[in-house]
Amino acid sequence: MLARVANNLFWMGRYIERSEHIARYLRVNYFSSLDAPNQISQSRQFVLRSMLTLVGDPAADEEEELNETEVLYKIGLDPNYSSSILNNVRNSRENANSARDLISTELYESINKFYHFIANYDADVYTKNGLDDFTRNVTEMSAILRGKVRSTLMHDEIYAIIMMGANIERATQVMRIISSKYNDALKAQGSYGDKFKNSFEWTTLLKCTESYDMMRRHYKKTPTSISTLEFLILNPDCPRSIMNSLNQICKHIKILDTKKKHDRDSTSFLVGKVRAEYEFKSMVDIESDIQLIINNTLTHLYEISQKMEKEFFSY
Amino acid sequence: MVNLENQIFSSYQRNPVLFDEIFDQEGQVKEVYSKLFELYGGHSISEYVNLNEKAKSSFFNQGITFQVYDKKKTKEKIFPFDLFPRIIPPEEWEIIESGCIQRSKALNLFLWDVYHDKNIIKEGIVPMDLISSSANYLDQMVNLDPPGGIYNHISGTDVIKHSDGQYYVLEDNIRCPSGVSYVICNRTALKRALFGVFDHYKTYSVTNYAENLLDLLETVKPKGVDVPNVVVITPGMYNSAFYEHSYLAKTMGVELVEGRDLFVENDFVYMKTIKGPQKVDVIYRRIDDAFIDPLEFNPDSALGVPGLFAAYKKGNVTLANAPGTGVADDKAIYTYMPEIIKYYLNEEPILNNVKTYHCSRPKELRYVLNNIKNLVIKPVDEAGGYGISIGNRLSDKEIEVVKAEILLSPRKYVAQPIMSLSVHPTYIDETESFEQRHVDLRVFTVLGKDKEFVLKGGLTRVALKRGNLIVNSSQGGGSKDTWVLKT
Repeated sequence: MLARVANNLFWMGRYIERSEHIARYLRVNYFSSLDAPNQISQSRQFVLRSMLTLVGDPAADEEEELNETEVLYKIGLDPNYSSSILNNVRNSRENANSARDLISTELYESINKFYHFIANYDADVYTKNGLDDFTRNVTEMSAILRGKVRSTLMHDEIYAIIMMGANIERATQVMRIISSKYNDALKAQGSYGDKFKNSFEWTTLLKCTESYDMMRRHYKKTPTSISTLEFLILNPDCPRSIMNSLNQICKHIKILDTKKKHDRDSTSFLVGKVRAEYEFKSMVDIESDIQLIINNTLTHLYEISQKMEKEFFSY
Repeated sequence: MVNLENQIFSSYQRNPVLFDEIFDQEGQVKEVYSKLFELYGGHSISEYVNLNEKAKSSFFNQGITFQVYDKKKTKEKIFPFDLFPRIIPPEEWEIIESGCIQRSKALNLFLWDVYHDKNIIKEGIVPMDLISSSANYLDQMVNLDPPGGIYNHISGTDVIKHSDGQYYVLEDNIRCPSGVSYVICNRTALKRALFGVFDHYKTYSVTNYAENLLDLLETVKPKGVDVPNVVVITPGMYNSAFYEHSYLAKTMGVELVEGRDLFVENDFVYMKTIKGPQKVDVIYRRIDDAFIDPLEFNPDSALGVPGLFAAYKKGNVTLANAPGTGVADDKAIYTYMPEIIKYYLNEEPILNNVKTYHCSRPKELRYVLNNIKNLVIKPVDEAGGYGISIGNRLSDKEIEVVKAEILLSPRKYVAQPIMSLSVHPTYIDETESFEQRHVDLRVFTVLGKDKEFVLKGGLTRVALKRGNLIVNSSQGGGSKDTWVLKT
């Protein structure tokens, strides 16, 4: 496979995953604020700021009053905003275009349809009352794409590259969502009976990562800070957990790099090292400094991505 | 007897001067079309509009689109496609197929001769100044032997049916002819919309093109290579034919590369893969001559590969088509095709050539200037239907402008009688009915070492504007699925 095309497929995987997480975050936060137990979590300003934080927008930290229509439009459909869902989907299609000869017709047609759906979505409808419909369609269509990737491509190098991208991005987005909700939980403290540990934000966090039902089934209790973070970071059986993504990354790098003994400078070696670190972590390590583990995880994922770039994509 | 009160054909107007491919002079449906006419005629207008939409969305979802700029938004559009297929009966196809092979072979021998001993020039059959003044003649190709002795691996021959019912060749395209992917997409779209009609006709499949192309490209591999590594090179995804490039790479199962994916070391060509460099042996290039190698040709080209031509010269890589083939699909060379075929193959031309007047010859120039109203004036080195003037469509003022241009550079122009392209019923959105539209046919021929292949189908292009004779997609043309019937 060509190095340039491999790079494009890697990013195709990342952009699809990214748009899905952003869309779900918008929906869950917006609608959960409607039945939040305290005033801060109910505040529209609080929710809009949280949305901007997720896409890394500097406006999130400013004091200015935010306009709901503007924020929703910006993150969803603004063609001039590089982090908008529209641009993520457009980028994933551009990447798919350049690798059209390698991916299946079925996968390409689904990405193409996805793009046309987003590009033709009426912006007024979306900001007025289409948020639920729009974001639900984005998550549904990305689920279809995930299925097409898995079932219409050979599980070879092409597949491995896409899966590497998707899993690095998934872990990154889940960690960013954790980070964002962790900060929200800190901010929302102080109202009656709503301490950090039992914050409403943990439920929102689980819903943002589509893990609420799984978590309830697993712990059979109302989510707390500890159980939520344990589930989303360390539980290898939760398909959205950091641990699960790391296992996936580890599995797929082995398809790309088939050597038994890995060079200390290889992506494979780095992935193995990072995975081992999380495998032998427990909640006690996380609890002491949550912000630290958030930062470390994001750094590790960034390093893996950089390493891949150097080893496979550049000449 | 077919019921002519068919709903969607009820307002079909037949101009008796034109050669209609489905109705005869008496207005009766020709035998070969009768079943099709019956099947289509059974639809009401609204049903047909529905089917049309279905076919359009098939193209749209397959991503076979081009971009147009409308106010501030870019929009994607499909190439117009007509659901009513064109049928070519077996006895007519036999003439087209053998005629196209004959021309491709003759052109290949001509190219070898032009770049080697130049016998045809020495014998005074083709004038030297026609060759040396051609913008597409490459000095670099002189005495160079392309692998397998093949120059024009892929040809697209544009054929029309004249009002006398005979096929004529209008143009041989042997640089980078495109359109073959549309042949296959048109078939796919028609199958998705109206699969039932295929039950009534035995039509050749068109999906075997890529398989045969790869097969023939492998016959022209460089010396000493066992299993050649074939690639398709594209200018990139913003090129209007990118869909075709990716389609061909995908269906051949080979890599689609851009210039930046390749490099040359010690006169061998390599591609940059995730596992390091991999040698490339045969390149089906969809980049024009001028851009393939900045060291040898246009130094500003960012699309090509530095050193590629040196590797080619050493015989380490095959380029298909070979550089410099453009000298032979020049519209001035076209006029010598009957002589070229006779000279190299000692055969009579199977397909007709349109009588052509060279403005470079004083006697013919005079004829052209005096009869311009009845002629088509064409620049010799333009593709895509650009720069063509049709005499009877010009105002007196425009005629004077054209005349002045011809007199300024007579070598640049040839003139031909206005050929009457046959017409085919085509569904027109605006009037919601079938109307006569002019059509041509592009036939795809692949030439390998001692082997050749013609795709049994071809691209029927339709001039969608009423009365228009120019069918190129860049000028608002559409296309039709084309059925070659089995005997």
